Amino acid sequence: MRVLRAADVGRVILKGGSARVHEPRAAKFRPGDRVVARNVHPVGHTRLPRYVRGRRGTVDRDHGVFVFPDTHALGQGKTPQHVYSVRFTARELWGPAASPRDAIYVDLWDDYLDPDPGP
Amino acid sequence: MNGVHDMGGMHGFGPVVAEAHEPVFHAEWERRAFALTLAAGFLGEWNIDMSRFAREQMPPAAYLASSYYEHWLWGLEHLLVERGLLTRGEVEARVTALAAREAR
Repeated sequence: MRVLRAADVGRVILKGGSARVHEPRAAKFRPGDRVVARNVHPVGHTRLPRYVRGRRGTVDRDHGVFVFPDTHALGQGKTPQHVYSVRFTARELWGPAASPRDAIYVDLWDDYLDPDPGP
Repeated sequence: MNGVHDMGGMHGFGPVVAEAHEPVFHAEWERRAFALTLAAGFLGEWNIDMSRFAREQMPPAAYLASSYYEHWLWGLEHLLVERGLLTRGEVEARVTALAAREAR
């Protein structure tokens, strides 16, 4: 078992930790693409909030390749994949009474998204 | 999991009040809970996503009635017991001993 020694704490904390994976992976989407967040209800850990499931958004930017939390939390591997900042309008999430000017950006992994099939 | 931690869009919790000059920790035990969680993470027995999942498994009524670092501490205890590094009895015995010391 690894142990963090007192003498190493400063160096280790300053170094930090990142979920970024430095391996190339094909991106399913590009900025500007219309997407739909999957309507899934995993019983393990997920970073797909309930309020975006089944909702349509637009890929704003591609953050790069990261560990997929859903499989990593279950000890089923890192499953590296692209993470995007996806823009959802307030009206798409909260209905016609929401402000037409507001939007929320949610960081979402490839496996949370499908292409928007259109109207 | 569709747990109580996934609070986006929920009503009834009142406004979010920003604290002026908010300290990093509001009590000494929070500093210890944070340090203990990071130090235990370096044992390599779990990863950060497992830590988050552990906190999500706190019973929902308790989760809503407790603070951020209470969630952290609950999650850490859960992982330590689940991985067999501590027993529930050892945790309870320590709590009892500390409470007795506090009462003196």
